[in-house]
Amino acid sequence: MYKKQAIKDYGREISIFYARSVIALIIVVLLLFLLLFRQFKLQVLNYESYQTQSENNRIQVRPVAPIRGLIFDRNGELLAENRSIFALEITPEQIGRKKMDDTLLRLSQLLDIDQKQIDEFKEQIKFRSKYKSYPIKSKLTEEQVALFSVNRHLFPGVSVEARLERYYPHGEDLVHAIGRMAAINKQDLEKMQQEAEDTQDFSKLNNYAATNKIGKLGLERYYEQQLHGTVGQEKVETDVRGRIVRVLTRQDPDAGKNLHLYLDYKLQQKANQILKEAGARGAVVAVDPSNGGVLAMVSQPSYDPNLFIGGISQADYSALINSEDRPLYNRAVQGTYAPASTIKPHLAWLGLQQGVITESTRIADPGWFSLPNNKHRYRDWKPWGHGASMNVFDAIVESCDTYFYDLSVRLGINTIAEGMRQFGFGEKTGLDIVEEKQGIMPSRDWKKVVRKEPWYMGDTVNIGIGQGFWTATPLQLANASAVLANDGIRYKLQLVKGFSENDVVEAIIPEMAHEQIVTGDGRWLDLVKSSMYQVTQPPKGTAKSAFADASFTAAGKTGTGQVKSIAQDETYDAENVEDKFKDNALFIGYAPYEKPQIAIAVVMENAGGGGGNAAPIARELMEFYLTTNNFIQSQQVAEHQPEAN
Amino acid sequence: MFKPLSQQPTSNTHKASQSILWRLHLDAPLLLGLLMLMGFGLLVIYSAGGENLGLVKRQLVRLGFGLGVMFVIAQIPPRILKMWAPLLYIGAIGFLLAVLLFGESSKGAQRWINIGIRFQPSEIMKLAMPLMVAWYFAEKPLPPNFKQLMMGLILVVAPTMMIMLQPDLGTSLLIASSGLFVIFFAGIRWRYIASAVIAILILAPIMWFFVMHDYQKGRVLTFLNPERDPLGAGYHIIQSQIAIGSGGATGKGWLKGTQSQLEFLPERHTDFIFAVLGEEFGLLGVAILLTLYLFVIIRGLQISLQAQDTFSRLLGAAITLIFFVYLFVNIGMVSGLLPVVGLPLPLISYGGTSMVTLLAGFGILMAIKTHRRLHSR
Repeated sequence: MYKKQAIKDYGREISIFYARSVIALIIVVLLLFLLLFRQFKLQVLNYESYQTQSENNRIQVRPVAPIRGLIFDRNGELLAENRSIFALEITPEQIGRKKMDDTLLRLSQLLDIDQKQIDEFKEQIKFRSKYKSYPIKSKLTEEQVALFSVNRHLFPGVSVEARLERYYPHGEDLVHAIGRMAAINKQDLEKMQQEAEDTQDFSKLNNYAATNKIGKLGLERYYEQQLHGTVGQEKVETDVRGRIVRVLTRQDPDAGKNLHLYLDYKLQQKANQILKEAGARGAVVAVDPSNGGVLAMVSQPSYDPNLFIGGISQADYSALINSEDRPLYNRAVQGTYAPASTIKPHLAWLGLQQGVITESTRIADPGWFSLPNNKHRYRDWKPWGHGASMNVFDAIVESCDTYFYDLSVRLGINTIAEGMRQFGFGEKTGLDIVEEKQGIMPSRDWKKVVRKEPWYMGDTVNIGIGQGFWTATPLQLANASAVLANDGIRYKLQLVKGFSENDVVEAIIPEMAHEQIVTGDGRWLDLVKSSMYQVTQPPKGTAKSAFADASFTAAGKTGTGQVKSIAQDETYDAENVEDKFKDNALFIGYAPYEKPQIAIAVVMENAGGGGGNAAPIARELMEFYLTTNNFIQSQQVAEHQPEAN
Repeated sequence: MFKPLSQQPTSNTHKASQSILWRLHLDAPLLLGLLMLMGFGLLVIYSAGGENLGLVKRQLVRLGFGLGVMFVIAQIPPRILKMWAPLLYIGAIGFLLAVLLFGESSKGAQRWINIGIRFQPSEIMKLAMPLMVAWYFAEKPLPPNFKQLMMGLILVVAPTMMIMLQPDLGTSLLIASSGLFVIFFAGIRWRYIASAVIAILILAPIMWFFVMHDYQKGRVLTFLNPERDPLGAGYHIIQSQIAIGSGGATGKGWLKGTQSQLEFLPERHTDFIFAVLGEEFGLLGVAILLTLYLFVIIRGLQISLQAQDTFSRLLGAAITLIFFVYLFVNIGMVSGLLPVVGLPLPLISYGGTSMVTLLAGFGILMAIKTHRRLHSR
């Protein structure tokens, strides 16, 4: 230190620094004067020229909204289109804040606009540029257009514009499958702004400059980016107030991509119709097992998505929100139900795979099961039991609860939880929809974390019949059924098959969601599948009456899910149970048995037994799909009989 | 030994040291200048964003965060900063390497790195560079000899090249200049400066043909002749000049700028905010803005002059001048004196991580001012 300091000349150093600072400051001041002089030149010397240019500044670049992509079903049926409508639009700047309320009031008297529409409009203009026009009411009728035209002079700043607007021709049949759109709201815009700032990429935000609606649910939301397209630009000549006088040049927007679905609209419509006729709250999901494509996805009751497009009225909205049947709720992907006996085939497979049972393991069923050193009786649905010697095949066919209580204890909860994930329980199916729920595949750790309680043996027993903590969506059930149909191969479920853009088609290649499940050289698979075939057959199949005289072969499994737990000595009496505590009816299955084309899950809330209520619906839909797609002739009678076990 | 007046400890400072701001290691005049600039900025942002309060709120949050960073840094004594300078510099070099190797691209340039949070390492380098160069010259006998000068230049050039490769020419030049300012204040001989200027004049054409990207050449060409592309790149320049010019001496009034309000003007609340200010507040508003900036710069240089050691002195002066470069380049660009480069107007423009870096720099200045040893050497 001392040595260095010895040759460091502080005095000189500081005087140099001082001198340099003065020089720097002089340069800074000179340059600031240069800037000031530049402004002086612009603002004072050339003021008049710029003032004139500003007054005459008529060339303005305006964004042009792209045309949104269409949605088609597998047969080219149009499911979502754009219709030209007349919209009543207001440019806030041309009205001014003071006159706004008055204008809105007078408009609402003239054209039947309710408070909710006014509120939504006001909300929207609060955070967007006031120099653009925003719709207050879309879908004006011809009379309304005429009425406004006559009174136009009373409403400066208000205009009727021809716009393209989303329209769902099949309304409520499809909303739970393809979703819907609504006006861009504050949250949407803030999210986009935040994202743009985080990534410093403003292109997406700019892309919405002319867009007023955005996908809110389902495919419309998931594929928003592809459907939306790219904004165009239009150089327009305007007057001083910003009104367009004429269009000079135009860079056309790029329309969004069309979506092509696996969905079969006819099947979707049929399923809706059947559920509706049955007066059911429930869901139907049908999947093509060979690729994971969703053929139908129905949730009832439903609602008309077109109501939301032009700004929903207060009355319509209250009706939807307050309905006890919750039509807005998408049961197919958001409803989580106890899978009940529908998962017995999967558990049987797991038992065989883990070696805790074999094809010939037999147990006695006195009508109940109990754990060692515990008096609690877990009852079979058949009070007197299924006999002294049940094997796994018959246990599936007759849906013997006692056998599966026993099996689940043999397997243990951790093995079950892990094994059932192979079939997609407890995880999302990967469907191209944001709202999907994953249900619960319970395990020791899950209970510790979520319920803050230890796992009890009795919890495992309930899992054996798909009750207790286990919940699954109808989508997961259809998925699990498709895995069996497809010999243990599970695909990621997919609604969209591909995109098209100017006749160029781009297909999405089906992906496997899980490696193929070990099938024990096909033996375990054959046993489980043939037992599911037998479920649809006499003499003992639980779905035998539903499939009586069917023109095709099918495999299936019924389920009856308890909604309310029944005390030890109480009996379930369907007559005396409040409607909302009645059993859920479930059915999973696939057809044809030999070469599956459709795997299906039906869930009906509080409808009663699965064999009597859900299975007939599955059968009708299978038949419908197989016939309309010529997989079977309507008259053909199934001849194939699997080997009896 | 000769000492300028400012270097002598005076009894007055003792009294000042009792004030709350002093104990919080904040410099009142500097803080006042910064806050006034920020306030001015918020007014203009509100207008430029189409009376969008959300925008103003988000900017307030950012300003709050930036001031927080400034406050924290002001608590660190300069000798600690000096101790950590080499490590910070090496760390920043490491990040820049990482960006080149596995950085995330955005709009054709790799500038981002993701380690839990995404950030631009070049922002760290903006501070690491003057810290490192000041560290290097602090213990050398000044003015530096040729060998030391070369060493200093290597410290400047290495990160500059790395940022240039991202490619981000604007930022690399800014960072290079922050290091060069330190060398300037360290007392580099004028003949070296003169030869550097000549070298640049020779190198410029080479840069043009071999280093600059097409989009950069386009900006320069459009700057020289905006009419070349009146509705494309030149649109920015023409529209912003019309906006400023039509503001006149006293402006059209707050929220009343037709150019900006009618959306003729692109990037109104970010890089081109000066045009909105010029349109709505006129020459008067511009003069007030420039005066505020000058006030901050003078205070920065004053603090550096009174600094107690070479390191602080060099660092403080370089930070102050870099601040000037920012505002000069931005205003020059918006008013048509310089080609368009993506640089915000410091403390006025909406958003930007660069503001946080800038405020961190002011934190260092405040630390230099307020962490004074009782005994002068």
